[in-house]
Amino acid sequence: MAQDLAVHVRFGPETGDLVVAQGRGVLPPLLGMLVAAGLVDWLVTRTLTRLAIHLPKSDAMIAGYALLGWVGQVGSTLAALLALAGVLWIAGIEWQTRRAWVALALAGLVLLSVVFLVRPPGGWLLAAQGLTGLVLAVFVARAWRVEAAPRWGLLLAAAAMCAALVYQALPVLYTLLNLPGPAAWAKPAFLLGEALVVAAAFALWGAYGRQAARRVWWAAALPALLFAAAYLVQPAMTAILVVWSNGLTLYLPWWLYAAALWCTGVAVLHQWQQGERMRVAGLLLLAVAGYAPQLSSQAFAGLLALWVLLQTSSPRTVSSPGTG
Amino acid sequence: MLTRNRLMTLTGLLLALVAVWLKVPLASSQGLTIAVTGINGPLPVTELDSELWRQATAVEVPLSAQIIARPILPQTNIHAVTVRGLHNGDELALLVEWADTTRNESTLRPEDFRDGVAIQFPLAEGLPFFCMGQQGGNVNIWHWKADWQADIVAQRTLRDAFPNMYVDYYPFTEEGGDVLLAAYTDVAYLPAVAAQNLMAAPDHATPVENLIAGGFSALTGLPAERQIVQGHGEWHDGVWRVIFARTLRTDQPEDVALAPEQVYSVAFAAWDGANEERNGAKSTSQWVSLQLLPPAASSGQMDPSSVGQGGERLPLWAWLVMLVTLALMVWAAVHYANLGKRGQAA
Repeated sequence: MAQDLAVHVRFGPETGDLVVAQGRGVLPPLLGMLVAAGLVDWLVTRTLTRLAIHLPKSDAMIAGYALLGWVGQVGSTLAALLALAGVLWIAGIEWQTRRAWVALALAGLVLLSVVFLVRPPGGWLLAAQGLTGLVLAVFVARAWRVEAAPRWGLLLAAAAMCAALVYQALPVLYTLLNLPGPAAWAKPAFLLGEALVVAAAFALWGAYGRQAARRVWWAAALPALLFAAAYLVQPAMTAILVVWSNGLTLYLPWWLYAAALWCTGVAVLHQWQQGERMRVAGLLLLAVAGYAPQLSSQAFAGLLALWVLLQTSSPRTVSSPGTG
Repeated sequence: MLTRNRLMTLTGLLLALVAVWLKVPLASSQGLTIAVTGINGPLPVTELDSELWRQATAVEVPLSAQIIARPILPQTNIHAVTVRGLHNGDELALLVEWADTTRNESTLRPEDFRDGVAIQFPLAEGLPFFCMGQQGGNVNIWHWKADWQADIVAQRTLRDAFPNMYVDYYPFTEEGGDVLLAAYTDVAYLPAVAAQNLMAAPDHATPVENLIAGGFSALTGLPAERQIVQGHGEWHDGVWRVIFARTLRTDQPEDVALAPEQVYSVAFAAWDGANEERNGAKSTSQWVSLQLLPPAASSGQMDPSSVGQGGERLPLWAWLVMLVTLALMVWAAVHYANLGKRGQAA
């Protein structure tokens, strides 16, 4: 893996910022596998296998769903494994750029996540959440420094993650402080975070998809139309599926989510067309992570997504055409 | 040819397959967690005002209307329940509270519906549908019913609902006394009672029904001898407070088995009888985590004066680590902001 990194990245001489040496189109194999496994986790385990839970099924359908569930399970497990490796990967890069404390925070996150697999976290969950907050603070600060076009998209995405973190960390903090609770700011933080997710989708489109060709718009409309049609036909089931697969509660008007999905699709397809594989990976990983993630693997996917997008948006990248 | 990338892909897949085969999880839970405080001594299973409850941190769990299975009621009245938990290594007690301006605890009249609240645990691996499970994904449900609670406090008859009612006689009952309370000479004349159907039982040992479900229309009550969940609820000033209590361990596969220091998934549902909420017309939550914290270190009875001192404690150095982490977060933001300015100046 170290050789892979040597091929794909080098570091800025003055501030130690990571520079993608061979262009942003080169996708490290680990990241590519993670995106693929993450998509299986999101679209198969968290979405497809739950589509027909209340439909009467024939034996063949039951067998089919069992197979689908097993495939999804393998994908989810692979995604979890690669998310751990991915965070260690960026920890290694941060270490090489002399950001030792960021590297230690990332490595600490991985260590705690592994420990929590065998020992329930209890109050120690706050330590993991603190480290996540630390890494997010670094990412927010970095996002502030990138060129103007992607800045607000990255800041809004990071802010949504921060809001979800507050929502999840407050009850743990209350428990540790022996406060009676419930935490007053938790729910407002959750709702604010969901609004930020939608806003981030539009802002990222502004940075990465605004100049897309018309046919890209048409192609990206398909998932948005699918969502809109599903919502209009079966609003309850669609809302439940979205909550289950992506964590969004759809408390805002539904068409805002449809438009955000459309814009995200445009940004992904346009960047793919431009050969910006790293950006595509970052955008897809953001979607895979979902909002207010329930599992460490999803949270890691979110951190990796931000990190990747930050690297590709840095004004210090060697080539920056099409950055906004 | 087996390139390094292909080797990495194959290794990753192989590891994932082994992990799936051995059921080794590789991702830990990060979501909303209800921490169940470990204490020593008996749990306050009927004392709603016990000081011990102050040791447990309450978590607000949002609810929304169940709108998939009919009957659908798009606007339900209960939007959140507040949950806190205690355990002593042998038993678990959960206190659930929610706002309800009306107290509905009678179903004697056909137009009346009761208030209620339910807790649900998945019985299968993975998370089934959060609303009563799904095919192949059973759930264990503890359903507290306000009318059952009221019946335990004071048995009521139809005459309480219809004071002017009159009955000549019921056949096959023992003569004399109050005809409404007269017992049948043979329980076989009441087939539901003879079959030990809890719905027909004249009285209940507990206001909580212990059930399993595997999807809509699959709700099944467990037999009377398997009603092992205790409960106690009271309504006061527009708030219901209900305690659920059960032993942690069980040898029945239909009852969720619990153990200290483990994390479980749990979901909640609530009904407001005044809004004609019953059966599927209810408010439900999604899955949240329930973690049984380690038991308190000392043994013996809990001293109420020590309330606020219990629960899980982090050592001082852990707090220091967190403080340093917080300081680092602030420093990181300032450092990077300054770095940016320097870069622009250069």
